[in-house]
Amino acid sequence: MAISLLNPKAEVARAAQALAVNISAAKGIQEVMKSNLGPKGTMKMLVSGAGDIKITKDGNILLHEMQIQHPTASLIARASTAQDDMTGDGTTSTVLLIGELLKQADIYIAEGLHPRLLAEGFDKAKTKALEVLDKIKIPIEINRENLLDVCRTSLRTKVHQTLADVLTEVCVEAVLAIRPKDNKPVDLHMVELMQMQHKTETDSSLIKGLVLDHGSRHPDMPKRLENCYILTCNVSLEYEKSEVNSGFFYKTAEERDKMVLAEREFIDQRVKKVIELKKKICTGTNKTFVIINQKGIDPMSLDQLAKEGIIALRRAKRRNMERLSLACGGTAMNTFDDLSESCLGYAGLVYEHVLGETKFTFVEECKNPQSVTILLKGPNKHSLQQIKDAIRDGLRAINNAIEDKAVIPGAGAFEIAANKELLQWKDTVKGKTRLGVVAYAEALLVIPKILATNSGFDVQETIVKLQEESHTSPEPIGLDLTSGEPISPKDAGIFDNYIVKKQIINSCSVIASNLLLVDEIMRAGMSSLKG
Amino acid sequence: MSSREILTLQFGHYANFVGTHWWNIQETGFEYNTTQPSEIDHSVLFREGRTPKGQVTFTPRLLLVDLKCSLKSLPKQGDLYESAPDSSQLFVEWDGNKVELQKNQKEPKNEFQIDLENPEALPSVSSKKYNLDENVEVWSDYLYSKYHPRTVNIVNEYEHCNEETPFDSYSSGTALWKNEMFEDEFADKIRSYIEECDHFQGFHILTDCTNGFAGLSSACLEHVRDEYDRKSVLVLPTIPAHFPDNDFKNDREQVFSIMNDSTRVINLLMSFNSYRQFGSMFAPLCAATDGWRQPGVPREFYHTQFNHKLPYHSSAILASALDTLTLKYRLKSTTCSLTDLCADLTGNDRKAISASLCMPFSLNSDAELIDCLDQWEGPLYRSITPRCKIGTERVMQHLMLRGIPETRLKKAQNKAGKQKEMAAYKCNSVKEMMEFYLSCTTFATASNVGVLEKAMPVSNPFPEIFDQWIGVNGNVCANPRGESQRVESIPILAGFHSGSEIGEMLESLHTEAKKLKIARFHKFTIEQDEYGESLNDILTLRENYEDSYLV
Repeated sequence: MAISLLNPKAEVARAAQALAVNISAAKGIQEVMKSNLGPKGTMKMLVSGAGDIKITKDGNILLHEMQIQHPTASLIARASTAQDDMTGDGTTSTVLLIGELLKQADIYIAEGLHPRLLAEGFDKAKTKALEVLDKIKIPIEINRENLLDVCRTSLRTKVHQTLADVLTEVCVEAVLAIRPKDNKPVDLHMVELMQMQHKTETDSSLIKGLVLDHGSRHPDMPKRLENCYILTCNVSLEYEKSEVNSGFFYKTAEERDKMVLAEREFIDQRVKKVIELKKKICTGTNKTFVIINQKGIDPMSLDQLAKEGIIALRRAKRRNMERLSLACGGTAMNTFDDLSESCLGYAGLVYEHVLGETKFTFVEECKNPQSVTILLKGPNKHSLQQIKDAIRDGLRAINNAIEDKAVIPGAGAFEIAANKELLQWKDTVKGKTRLGVVAYAEALLVIPKILATNSGFDVQETIVKLQEESHTSPEPIGLDLTSGEPISPKDAGIFDNYIVKKQIINSCSVIASNLLLVDEIMRAGMSSLKG
Repeated sequence: MSSREILTLQFGHYANFVGTHWWNIQETGFEYNTTQPSEIDHSVLFREGRTPKGQVTFTPRLLLVDLKCSLKSLPKQGDLYESAPDSSQLFVEWDGNKVELQKNQKEPKNEFQIDLENPEALPSVSSKKYNLDENVEVWSDYLYSKYHPRTVNIVNEYEHCNEETPFDSYSSGTALWKNEMFEDEFADKIRSYIEECDHFQGFHILTDCTNGFAGLSSACLEHVRDEYDRKSVLVLPTIPAHFPDNDFKNDREQVFSIMNDSTRVINLLMSFNSYRQFGSMFAPLCAATDGWRQPGVPREFYHTQFNHKLPYHSSAILASALDTLTLKYRLKSTTCSLTDLCADLTGNDRKAISASLCMPFSLNSDAELIDCLDQWEGPLYRSITPRCKIGTERVMQHLMLRGIPETRLKKAQNKAGKQKEMAAYKCNSVKEMMEFYLSCTTFATASNVGVLEKAMPVSNPFPEIFDQWIGVNGNVCANPRGESQRVESIPILAGFHSGSEIGEMLESLHTEAKKLKIARFHKFTIEQDEYGESLNDILTLRENYEDSYLV
């Protein structure tokens, strides 16, 4: 062993010992996560030493919160969070499946099977499982009902049912609103999430327009305007000293003032251009004018704009520039050189809402908004955070369904079906790799098993019932979590994302195989030193 | 004219130590007595807010970043706007009460923190003995200020003092910025702060520069430069006066320590290069002499004994300097802005500057400034920039003296006696006399001195680092101070300087960094070319300090 010659202090675990380390880590992390799975899993409340509270059921968030020390466990955790980054769901399933694959493998390895053969079996089984997945996927039409089903399935595993139903509605409406007509991919960034800390979670709603978290900074500006032209721009309307005045060589006060005036003049010109345009198109009509600027607007400019009854907002989010053009129409201007009516957007109503020290500006009643805002409400920070996380996942689930143009029957139906198919197919696999296929088939059942456990049903009884049912029924069969009986997920409207399952199968198989094939673990280098 | 606001960003644990002292010094100095309003314009660095209950708040305009588990008893949101709900009372809407509570052990608060929350104990907090030297582990242990809920940002990916996953490389810091938490949320918090300012003038970026925060602050600085292009950014990279790993006990730990020293040098080089490129100017700060490879011996100040191994002590020194220096543009009467200061000190693109400190400004309790300066031996101030002397030739400097009232300038005409014979007697103000003194002790140097009559408050939670000869009011006394008394305030002098000596500092960093082969440090995802370029850029910066350039 070269490493021990080079670095005699490196800690080394070999062969069986290395495998044992990996398997126990995978089991450990599985144990932590398994109570979360499914709509009947437990909610976790994490309280830090200083009293910070986090309430979640989402595997991804839990993994982020936990400080995982064990290298194998953290490898699994990272693979699972990567799963979430790509698809927005399936973290808990990934952890459970990797754990279970290793557990099943352990049984065979104890009997003397070489891990290499198992890994080969896993690989074959994976290919077959993907075939099954393709077979049972249900192509869908992109319509409201179908998307509601997918989104509801995902959200009910994350928040309480009544809230999940409210949010489902909101998420689907949001995505449908921003979805481009020509089947181009949806840009989820065009859904703004805005938090308001008051009322309750179920008061969250969809605003077909934009909500900004700032308001006008002048006491005389109107708080509410109707029939508004919206000017979006990225033009500085604040006086900034550009000429450098040295602190050493003071100019006389007059000289200084004169220079300030000249600089100021430059900004005034810009403000005047806006006012001119406003006068030209609004005078004599009931139209009003709102300017939303990415750059700053200083008090003097605000004052001039306020005198004209214009609402002016400064320092808007960069991303809101794009959102505003999509919500209200018009283009974001980078100069005022050729301002005209055609650059402007339109909103039926713009008003301000004050909450504590934060002002919110609502830009509503847009004609054909292709950017919308989900307004999150909740009585405290942690509940807001919880909804925000849920909404993100909900939006992703919808988007996945749109991109896949297909869904998978949920409630464990895929796992039951794949298990059945794999066990039938294993007879065609030659040699000992067959055992790997069997182990894989067995491991897949972990999902329905844990769903049953978490809902308080007897595991063996439930699984047997499901398997029996699936042998007789041509349709995929899943588990009804309220009765413990087999159901057809399709009829119950329980659908998962195709891409999520596909990712789970792919990444779990690869990681489990890799961990099986590890026959030596070394801890060397600096980080293993305890200081 | 209303205040010209500044937003402060703090990155890293040591920077937060410094920052905590800085905010404490400011808040302990608040004058609630309106008959004699403070000369300091607090709204440059603080903001007024309102809690949901309608109470008016005055909190630092600040965003800080630290790693997970570094806050101990401080809740992330603070308790100013809403106190953390009691987890046992909390109702979670979920089926069948299947809620699992995972409660970490409650972090105990120290005596100082408990007293701050107790209205009865509050009046005595400033002078009570707390033994903070032993109780302070993290900066929140001696935090006097209350922060706005959005101020504290915690990095979840890395844990404080966790050697398994250390946050110790520039690359990990720049990678971290690309997370949603920073690129979206943190950037948005910056924007929200600036949105509410009428005359925003710029940023203070107070940052660690030897660990991953070097990269994070660099990435943030680049964002700030991109988004707020014309605002000034003063970068204040801090280096602790002591690294625990330098106290190795065996060969193995020594190897570990040497590795760490090298990593820190790379971080310094890379971050200095970013600060040069995107900042308006930067002043490296360290309470020890050398800064890199190893911090070196602690800087010495008259009548001051600080334990350089305690970040609680060394950070107080740096914070005192910063609080004093920034007064230049924080006084109500000032016409100088951060932009002006940067413009004065960075001629010929000399973006690195040095800082100095004289703490306390040792004036005998019965003496006048004129005698004090006349009898002063050695330089007035000590450098607090590593590996950098403060020169006396061809220097551009801005100094700030606080705590010397005009009445202590000189004796009246009829009592002056010998003082009248001194050339300085003709000076009629502290500012004038200081500038006169500096012009006599330096060559071809431009000095600008700012003055504030009020001394700097050093009551709790400022560490007790002054020896017994410093009186309650900070003057040097003939008789030792009583055991039970503590120094309440001190006169202090601090300065920013730009001179050729800074070139030597840069060269020393360049020499150290050049010895290292970046490819051997696998935790850095920096290519050889990129590293070489950074080395060259620092060398180019160093050339800006060639003496041929005349002030």
